Amino acid sequence: MSDQDLVIETVRDILGGFEPFDPTPERRWDDGLWAALADAGLTGVGLPESMGGSGGDLADAVAIVRTLASGAAAVPVAEQLLVAGPAVLAAGLPLPPVEEPLTFAAADAVTSAPAGDAFALTGTVTDVPWTGAARHLALLLPGPAIALVDVGGLAVSDAANLAGEPRGSLVLDGVPALVEPINAAQARELRSGYALARAVQLTAALEQVLAWTVQYAGERQQFGRPLAKFQAIQMELAEMAGEVTAVTALTDAAVQALMHGEDDFWLAAAAAKVRAGAAVEVVARLAHQVHGAIGFTQEHRLHHLTKRLWSWRDEAGGELHWSRNLAVGLLADGGDGLWPALTRVV
Amino acid sequence: MSNALTLAPAPRSEAAERVRGEVRDFLAAELAAGTFSTHVDTWLSGVDPAFSRKLGERGWLGMTWPKRYGGHERSAMERYAVTEELLAAGAPVAAHWIADRQSGPNLLRYGTEEQRREILPRIAAGECYFVIGMSEPDSGSDLASIRTRASRNDAGDWVVNGAKVWTSNAHASHYGIVLVRTSPADPQNRHAGLSQLLVDLSLPGITVNPIRILDGGHHFNEVVFEDVVVPGDMLLGKEGDGWHQVTAELAFERSGPERFLSTYPLLAEFGRRAAATGDPAQLAALGRLSARVLSLRQLSLRIAAALDRGELPNIAAALVKDVGTTFEADVIDEVRRVVEVTPSLDSPDPLARALAEAQLHQPGFTLRGGTNEILRGIVARGLGLR
Repeated sequence: MSDQDLVIETVRDILGGFEPFDPTPERRWDDGLWAALADAGLTGVGLPESMGGSGGDLADAVAIVRTLASGAAAVPVAEQLLVAGPAVLAAGLPLPPVEEPLTFAAADAVTSAPAGDAFALTGTVTDVPWTGAARHLALLLPGPAIALVDVGGLAVSDAANLAGEPRGSLVLDGVPALVEPINAAQARELRSGYALARAVQLTAALEQVLAWTVQYAGERQQFGRPLAKFQAIQMELAEMAGEVTAVTALTDAAVQALMHGEDDFWLAAAAAKVRAGAAVEVVARLAHQVHGAIGFTQEHRLHHLTKRLWSWRDEAGGELHWSRNLAVGLLADGGDGLWPALTRVV
Repeated sequence: MSNALTLAPAPRSEAAERVRGEVRDFLAAELAAGTFSTHVDTWLSGVDPAFSRKLGERGWLGMTWPKRYGGHERSAMERYAVTEELLAAGAPVAAHWIADRQSGPNLLRYGTEEQRREILPRIAAGECYFVIGMSEPDSGSDLASIRTRASRNDAGDWVVNGAKVWTSNAHASHYGIVLVRTSPADPQNRHAGLSQLLVDLSLPGITVNPIRILDGGHHFNEVVFEDVVVPGDMLLGKEGDGWHQVTAELAFERSGPERFLSTYPLLAEFGRRAAATGDPAQLAALGRLSARVLSLRQLSLRIAAALDRGELPNIAAALVKDVGTTFEADVIDEVRRVVEVTPSLDSPDPLARALAEAQLHQPGFTLRGGTNEILRGIVARGLGLR
């Protein structure tokens, strides 16, 4: 068993003790699961030990995020390990204790002004993942710069995504923060890294939804035989498998590009986000079709993942945003440069 | 995920990137010299023996085969890069395509030493071309129902009677690998009693009749066999093992970049148009299509790597062909939605020409090499559903 398999098994063991649920303003996240993951050192994986992380490499962090995503875990691990943690480190800011949830957002309308040894932030940040759960926020500011804010005491709105995961707003009125500038390339990497984090979650959820649907089709009997024996159902499941397999291959390649520090990583991440988002159309629709009416209720587990699929595809930039950016990036050398760019990205 | 569909990531290959650059330079020079012009779906329609010989001279055919048979002992990843570049440029590769892709590898596995020494070097030189003899007038998707018969005569030779259809470029090819029934059909075991014969297409009794496709092009043929005497030693592999051998060919036939790049020349023209206009809807469509190209490349590369390792990932190959050929057709629809352009084979606008070529070839993409319905059935089996 490889180290990574061991990490996955540890996460699965922990996850087995917690049931997925529909987050609400009364219960925004799974703090018990978070505490268990933090106790096991899993909320700092991929972040260097010298900075207060738990060590391990990016592949381990991705494996953790995938495992939690396929279990519909209501914890800000993808944000902390794949986006906010790296953002803080890229800016040379001190990493908050990894036991305290750290989230990430980009804000174009927030200004920072010097205030004593630190800065004061003013403006409104929308679509902040895990508002009410996160203690710290790594905020990408225009400039560009990263601000590290303690948001523990701030009022938050109740906004949530379709799965109930908190995506609230924060009103900053002179809130103290540490701020360090980053360069434009770093800012682009962080935005695309955020997109890749969601692509990784989408990929894991797509794989799980396919597996659940195959399993259900094998168990559910109609007309005296399992659904899986009907050719019409087989065609639908094969179509789902085609989408999922294509997404997995591209997301894996984008993660590899990130690990190797490829210059074109951001294009690979953009493509992975576009491809994964596009697959949601087919996979979520067919999964519900095969599951029938029970899958359309909260009594069945399917909705925990399909609602996340419908949400995550539009977070960190949806297909429209990233497909345009991808095209512009691929055409950077002009219309004749498309093919060389496609063969360079991944 | 089912193991049958899970493939390890392909390793990055510096050698592949090197040869990719060489092919790209070669193609740019040939285009500049006007020795070929870009077209859609050229692995079906672009027969140009002079061009095939040039590829052979450069060592870009039979790339993975042993040197003693005229090959170059290079990796599947290098071959992948070469084929991908040729397809993206819309180069005329149809003459040698089948021989290089699957007939040669089939001879390597099942041919006699004499057949290998005689034929493989000629394929690698770009001089010897093959057809696939599988489908028949009454046997399309149901390949096991073929009726072309081969029986032994007193001299130990095979006497072949029947007809094969959709045999691409039989009128320009030298050999066919023909699936025949060598013992009577057994309803209890439909896959038994089939064998593969290596057939010289110049033998007496063989008639090649053209079948024109929608744009009037002559690529398909009906090949009729009337008491054709095929020497006894031209049995490929083992008598009765034809079904198994055909299946082994399919991983090669179904997973290559030609299963998602047949309409790439249209996408390339669309890219030029989007770059020129900067139109947001065109850019978005180009981005969506490009993301699909990138994911298909990864899938196809993974299969090339698996073939390199000696695996035969037939189920994953069926999946790639389903997803890839669907993409080839979707390029047409996506482009039409965001560009006002009238398809025309004789338009001065290269986008209009590429669109016309792609549209008239489109029905074939999801039929040839196994219909997508058949492929999805194979994927369903891989998922454990049947």
